[in-house]
Amino acid sequence: MFIDLAPGRLVEPLSGRAWNSREIVARVIARMQRLQSEGLGHGDRVFVLYGNKLEFFVDVLAAWHSGASLVPIDSRLTSFEIENLARAVEPRLLLVDSSAGAAALSGLTVLGVRVLDTTAWDIAGDSHPTAGRIRSHARLDNEALMLFTSGSTGVPKGVVHTHRSLRARWIALKDALGLAAFRRTLCLLPTHFGHGLICNSLFPWLAGQDLFIAPPFSTECLMRLGWLIDEHKITFLSSVPSMWGLALKASKPPAARSLRRVHCGSAPLSSLLWRQIQEWAGTKEVFNAYGITETGSWVAGTSVGDFVPEDGLIGVPWGSVIRTLKSADPHAPFDPDTQCRAAETGYIWINTPALMQGYYRQPELTAQVISGGWFYTGDIGVVDDRGWLYLKGREREEINKGGTKIYPADIDAVVEQFELTKEVCAFAVADPLYGQNIAMAVVLKDENSATIRALHDWMKRRLAEFKMPVRWYALDSLPRNSRGKISRKEVEDRCMARSPLDLRSILRTE
Amino acid sequence: MGMIMEPERRKTDLIDFLRTIQRPDSPLQEIDGDLSLVESGLIDSLALLQIITYLEQTYDIDFREKGIDPGELRSVNAILEFVAREITA
Repeated sequence: MFIDLAPGRLVEPLSGRAWNSREIVARVIARMQRLQSEGLGHGDRVFVLYGNKLEFFVDVLAAWHSGASLVPIDSRLTSFEIENLARAVEPRLLLVDSSAGAAALSGLTVLGVRVLDTTAWDIAGDSHPTAGRIRSHARLDNEALMLFTSGSTGVPKGVVHTHRSLRARWIALKDALGLAAFRRTLCLLPTHFGHGLICNSLFPWLAGQDLFIAPPFSTECLMRLGWLIDEHKITFLSSVPSMWGLALKASKPPAARSLRRVHCGSAPLSSLLWRQIQEWAGTKEVFNAYGITETGSWVAGTSVGDFVPEDGLIGVPWGSVIRTLKSADPHAPFDPDTQCRAAETGYIWINTPALMQGYYRQPELTAQVISGGWFYTGDIGVVDDRGWLYLKGREREEINKGGTKIYPADIDAVVEQFELTKEVCAFAVADPLYGQNIAMAVVLKDENSATIRALHDWMKRRLAEFKMPVRWYALDSLPRNSRGKISRKEVEDRCMARSPLDLRSILRTE
Repeated sequence: MGMIMEPERRKTDLIDFLRTIQRPDSPLQEIDGDLSLVESGLIDSLALLQIITYLEQTYDIDFREKGIDPGELRSVNAILEFVAREITA
């Protein structure tokens, strides 16, 4: 199983394209030959600027069996952000398809990255290779996957997983959850982040289950979700809470009762929404799944038999040990004095063989979160006397926009470089669609409409659309704490007492 | 109130509503009635949920009963045609 090449079928339910296991293997062989002829080899990294399509999954295996590491890139990033990531990681190849703007990627050639448009590869006969056996160069402790969690505009934070850590995650999930419910898995999540790629897609697919892959967060799919599930007899899908607003409102529930399990994760799941999903899906087997990219995503969930949905309820560990400690300090000893008692709130630490190798070229940052094999999650929670985990809050500086994590420092880094910026601080605001969205307080040297329009234009060229703040506040200065540091919480409090800029009017008068 | 609303009034009200959810740098007055609201970048894709809620509240349409074809929310004109069909059904 897993990468011994007995994958299940790949199906694109919207386009109708589908490849069986034999067809997949043929294409893997052909694409390995192409990649290796372009110089890809052991220890190299390959950026892939597309996802959620059949070819992407073939490229995952082709890169791995070539001995290389795969780096899925969010195609919504600007060329500025992609170049920043490439400058840090120095990939050998960047794979694009026809959806990528070639001109926007011209800067990568200057960096020595070979950009390959793979659009015509399959048409050119990759489905009919002459050679029939794979000679794999993958090794258990090779780097296999790098996922960026932040730093697209500054110092990239790349989570590095090896084949060993990925396999540990999949074996743990198989042990904890079995495979039966995953027989026909639907992925609606982006394949450039851990939840969508490692757990929703690769875990079932590489264990021989069929994977139905849809465009990420596609409104068309969400509005037809019930039909999609019935039409393809889907047994499993994972999700983020923000997807369900549209699906529950616009899609008729599935009628064929094929669904055996639904996961929801990457953002807080309210007990109300949880019950609504159960009712719509026609099954109680709707689990709140707790996952972190650094631990290969899902590490715990509500696989506890009869349970009643509760705010914050996660459940029991899946192939990991979870402890709540009184300290977030990686140097603090793990002794009985530092561990929380049952139902006592503390910092969540996880021990799992699926732990990442570390953050790419950032040993100090890695040492801040890993201590003796234990990983500090940045989350706060309690473990009750049954051993069930409940999430209570988050210490990490991140904005959770519908399950997509956005780091305010990435936005600050772009705005700070604008010549008329004195100070900036991005922060989270409540949002009816996404749970959270992005706001920004900025102090400008010359605050007028023309400056704000110029800053907006500056940001649009450097930040992906989904990272653009939706509320802007112009302040005279930013509040600082007693150590002179800007406090995002205090900035947020000050802004909430004011009205945001009327961006629509300002930008419309251009 | 939706049942007695004139077509022009429906259009004006819809556009007024879309102005409240559009992206800040997407001026609505430049959008053609047939232009895709999401693909043109006028609104965020998940904002379709807000359009559905608006139609539910304004015209008493129960989408959960019947579901909806995404194409029916594609553009201003498509939405108005959908509403016209619903209120005369």
